[in-house]
Amino acid sequence: MISDRVKQSIRAELRRSLMAKIGIVLVVAIILVATFAPFLATQNPKEQNLSESNIPPVGFTESTEEIQFIDGERQTVTETVGGSLDHPLGTNQLGQDMFSRVVYGARTSLAVGVLGTLIAMLTGVTVGLIAGFYGGRVDDGLMRFADIMLAFPALVLAIALIGLLGPQTIDIPDPFVALGLVDGMPSSFTLPLTVTLVVALVNWVWFARVARGEALTVRERNYVKASRSLGASNPRLMIRHVLPNSLTPIIVLATIQVAVIILLESSLSFLGFSGTNLSWGFDISQGRDLLATSWWIATVPGLAIVLAVIGINLVGDWLRDALDPDIEGEGGGM
Amino acid sequence: MKPILRISDLSTRFFTKSGQVNAVESLSMSIDDGEVFGIVGESGSGKSVTARSLIRLIESPGKITAGKIEYRNAEVADEIEDSNPEAVDGDYVDLAALPEDVVRSLRGPSFSMIFQDPESSFNPTLTVGEQIAEAVEVQRRASSNPRSVKSRTSSSAYSLRSYAYGTIMPNRSYVSSESKDRAVELLQQVGIPDPEERVDEYPHEYSGGMLQRAMIAQALAGEPDILVADEPTTALDVTIQAQVLNLLRDIQEETGMTILLITHNLGVIARMCDRVGVMYAGEIVERGTLSNIFDEAVHPYTKGLLGSIPDIGSAGGRLQPIEGNVPSLMDEEMGNRCYFADRCPKAMKTCLEKPADLSVDGAKEHEVQCVLAKEEYDESDALDPGQFEGEDS
Amino acid sequence: MRLTRFFIRRTLQGLLVVWGVITIVFLLRFITPGNPIDFVAPLDASPELRQSLAADLGLDKPLYVQYFEYVTSLVQGDMGYSFLRGQPASDIIFRRLPATLELAIASTVVAIVFSIPLGVISATRRNEPVDYAATSFSLAGISTPNFWLGIMLILVVGVQFELLPTSRRIIGFAPAVEMLIFDQSTLGIRAWLEHIILPAVTLGTYFTALIVRLTRSGMLEELGKSYVESSRAKGLPETLVRYKHVLRNTMIPIITVLGLQLGTLIGGAVITESVFSWPGLGTLVIDAINQRDWPLIQGTIIIIGTGFVIINIFVDALYTYLNPQVEFE
Repeated sequence: MISDRVKQSIRAELRRSLMAKIGIVLVVAIILVATFAPFLATQNPKEQNLSESNIPPVGFTESTEEIQFIDGERQTVTETVGGSLDHPLGTNQLGQDMFSRVVYGARTSLAVGVLGTLIAMLTGVTVGLIAGFYGGRVDDGLMRFADIMLAFPALVLAIALIGLLGPQTIDIPDPFVALGLVDGMPSSFTLPLTVTLVVALVNWVWFARVARGEALTVRERNYVKASRSLGASNPRLMIRHVLPNSLTPIIVLATIQVAVIILLESSLSFLGFSGTNLSWGFDISQGRDLLATSWWIATVPGLAIVLAVIGINLVGDWLRDALDPDIEGEGGGM
Repeated sequence: MKPILRISDLSTRFFTKSGQVNAVESLSMSIDDGEVFGIVGESGSGKSVTARSLIRLIESPGKITAGKIEYRNAEVADEIEDSNPEAVDGDYVDLAALPEDVVRSLRGPSFSMIFQDPESSFNPTLTVGEQIAEAVEVQRRASSNPRSVKSRTSSSAYSLRSYAYGTIMPNRSYVSSESKDRAVELLQQVGIPDPEERVDEYPHEYSGGMLQRAMIAQALAGEPDILVADEPTTALDVTIQAQVLNLLRDIQEETGMTILLITHNLGVIARMCDRVGVMYAGEIVERGTLSNIFDEAVHPYTKGLLGSIPDIGSAGGRLQPIEGNVPSLMDEEMGNRCYFADRCPKAMKTCLEKPADLSVDGAKEHEVQCVLAKEEYDESDALDPGQFEGEDS
Repeated sequence: MRLTRFFIRRTLQGLLVVWGVITIVFLLRFITPGNPIDFVAPLDASPELRQSLAADLGLDKPLYVQYFEYVTSLVQGDMGYSFLRGQPASDIIFRRLPATLELAIASTVVAIVFSIPLGVISATRRNEPVDYAATSFSLAGISTPNFWLGIMLILVVGVQFELLPTSRRIIGFAPAVEMLIFDQSTLGIRAWLEHIILPAVTLGTYFTALIVRLTRSGMLEELGKSYVESSRAKGLPETLVRYKHVLRNTMIPIITVLGLQLGTLIGGAVITESVFSWPGLGTLVIDAINQRDWPLIQGTIIIIGTGFVIINIFVDALYTYLNPQVEFE
C-alpha cells in the first residue's frame, strides 16, 4: 500500500533532518519505557512509605522548619532532607517513588494515545469515506454532524461525558508479572476506558474531514469512474482505490493526533476525570498544592509529558515533510 | 555605438544539498541600445537563470559567483560614483558589484522583467490595478528626480508605515490616485479594453492573454531602459501569443527600449529579434544576427535546433528534441570540454578540450564555440560515444 | 446585499448546528447513569418528596415533552434553574461569561502580538539562529500541556520570586475601566492586569506556538510563488513584498485554521481557569459536572457552542473578504 517512492522519501528526510532523528529516539525511548516499565521501575509505583515522603530528587536538598515544644520551650527545628539515588526523582507526599511513577505513567499516556487514535481513525475514516464517496445527502448529513461535533470544545465535551458516565477502567494483567519475571510490581495495568473512548469520540472529526477530502478527489479520477461503470460495488471501490490513496495524509494526521490525545489525556487526569491514579496528569495535580514545599512532584511528570509529546510531534513533522500531504487538524490538544 | 549592457564572464551557481550546479558558466555577451536580443535554448540550458542574474533576482541557494554585468547609464554612474566607486567604470555601472538596495532602486526605471506564467505572477488577492499602481508608486515616490538613486533607496519612500495605515483601514488603497490613474493609462497602452473598470478587477477575473498584457503594463510602469522577457508567450494560446508579441514589438518601436527575450521557441526569435544567442549548458555556444543564426549556423547544436522548424517565421516552430539530454550542470560532472560533445553527431577528439569563442568567416558579429568554425569534420577523428558513459559513472 | 445574504445563509446554517448541540446536550442527561433527582433530593427524602421534586423540575414527563419544553424555554432565553444554587442558570452563566471572555481575548492578543513577528522572522531568516530559536520555541509550545505550564509559571513567578498574584480575579475589566474613568485611579486596571497576566500567558503560549508554526510554513510556501519574484522585479522594497504581499496572503488560510482551533482555545480556558482559580465558565462547568447540576451543564455547553458558531461565521466572512477568489455565497 505504501509505494517505494514514498518509503524512499521518508528515509531521505530522516537522513537529512536532525530533528527527525531526535524524534525517533524519543518515541522509541517512550515505547520501550512503557513496555518494559516493570523492569525499569525501582519500586512499586503504588507502594506508599510515609516515612520517606517528600524527598527531593538527587542533587537537591529541601529544608523544612518545624515548631516544636521541647521541655516546655518553643523551638524552631530545621529539618533538612537531601535527595539520594534510592529515589532519583524524589518521592511524593505519600512516599511513592517519582521515578517509578513516571515510568509507569508512560504506559497510561501511550496506551490512551495510541488506542484513542486508532479508534478515532477507524471511526473517522469510515465516516469520511462514506460521506465523500456517496456525496449528496449522505455527505451533507454526516458533515453537518461533524460540524456539530466541532462546535463542542473537545475538552469540555470530554469532561462532560466522563463526568456523567463515570470513569470506567479495565485492569489488564501485566504479562511480565504474571510470568513471574519481576517481583513487587503492580500485577495489572489500569486502562482508563472512558477516557480512551471519549478522546476518540472528540477527535474522530479530523480524520473524517481528511478522509472525505481524499475520497472526493479520488472518486473523480478516471480509473475509479471506469471501475464504477464496470459495475464495481461502492464498498469495494472505497477499499481498493480510495483508502490506499488516502493513506498518506491519514498516517501523518494519526501521528499528530497521538500527541494531541496524550495532551488531552493528561488534562483529563489532571482534572481528576481519568479513573487511574497512575498517570502523569494525576501526579501533576497532586504536586500542584505542594508547590511551595515540594516543587518536583508537579515538575517531573510534566517534563515527561513534554518530552513524549515533542518526540511524537517531531516524528509527525518528519512524516509531513517527507510526504507533504495537505491536512488541517494540527493542534487541538493542550 | 557602445552597448547598453555588457556581460563578461558571468557565472551563476546553485549550492544545493546534492551538490554545486553551474547554471551559468563564464557567459559573455553584449546587448546594444534599442535592439531585441534573443536567447534560445532547451529548458535546463540556463537561460532563465541568465535573465534573473541580469537583474540580480537570484535567490539562495543560488549566487552570482563571478563576472560583471555592466549597464551603461551616465546619470546612474555619476550618482553611484561616490558610494560605490568600485562598481563604476566610465559610463558603466557593474550591477554585480552593487549593494542590494541600489540594485532594487534600478528595478523599474532601468530594467524590468516579465515572466512566463502571468497567472501566478500576479498576487491573487490584490487587484491588477493596485499591483500596477504599486509599480508606478514606487517610482513616483522616488520623487522629483526620477533617476535619483539616493531618494529611491531611502527608507521613507513608500514604506511600511503607509502599509500599516492601510491595514487598519483595509478598504483604503495603499497607492495614490495619481498612480491609479497612471495604471489605467498603462492598461490602455497595452490594449486592455475598458481599463477604468478592469483596473479594479482581480487577476482571476482576467484571461491569460489579458494578464500577460497587464504584466507588460506593470513592467512598463517604471519606463525601463531594458526589458527582460522570460518566455513571455509560453503559457499562452497560439493566437494570443502572436498578439502579445506584436504588442511587445510595437512598444519597443514606440519607446526604443532594449528587450532581452528568453525563449525556447525559434519562431518567436525569428519574429522578434535582431540578434540571437544560442544557449547550451550554461554557455552561449553561438551568437550572431538573425541571418547568421538561421542561414549560416555553424554549431551542430544550433543546426539541430533549426532542423525542426518547418517554416521559418511561423510562431508555431517548436524545437524538435535533439537526441540525448541536456547535461545536469552538476559541477562534478562538468569537466573542461565541449558539453555538447556527447550528443553531437560531429564530435571529434579535439572536443574533449574546451573550444574557444571563434568568429565565423571573420564576421565580427557571428561567433561560435565550436572547433568546426575553423576545421572540417573529420570522420577518422570521431569520438566514440561510449567515452562519456565511462566518464559519468 | 451579497454580504447580507451571506450572513443570513450562514446564520441559518449556524442555527442548525446550535440546534444539534442543544439536542445532544439534552440527550446527554439520559445516557447518564443515576437519577438526577438523587443529586437534588436530601438523602433521607421520602418517595413522595422525590416525586414532587421531580414534578417541580419537570423530570416526570415523557422524553419528547421534556425535549419540546426544553427547546421552547431555551428560545425564550430560559435555561432553567440551577439545581443547587436556586438561581436561573442563565444568570449564573452570564455573570461568569466576562471572566472567560477577558481571558480568551487577552490570550489571543498575547498570541497574535508575539506569534506573527516571530513567524515572519523565522521564515525570512530561515536556518539562521533566530529561526532555530523560534522553531524550538514553537515545538515546545505545542508540546507543553498548558495546565503544567501554568503551574510552572506559578512556581517560578509566584512562589519563587513572588512577582505576581497566582490565583483569582479580583476585579473585572469593565469595573476597572470605570474606576479609571470616574475615580481617576489606575489601581483597578493594575490589579486586573496583574491577575490576568499569568493565565493569559498560560493560555496564549500554545496559540503563539501554533501560529508561529503556521506562519512560518505558510510564509515559506508563499515566498516561493512567482508573484513574489515579479513584485521584486518591479522594484518593490523587500519589506513591502514581505508584509503587504506575502504576509497578507499567508494570514488568509491561517484565519480559517484559527477559527477551527477556537474549540481548543475554549478547552484550554477551562483548564487554565481551573489552575488559576479563575471564576469563569470553565471552573463553572467543572463544578457543575461534579455536582450533576444539569441546567448549568447544559446551559454552559450551549453558550460555548453558540459562541463557537458565531465566531466561525465571522471568521468565514473575514476569510471571504480577504480572499477575492472566493465569493460570498
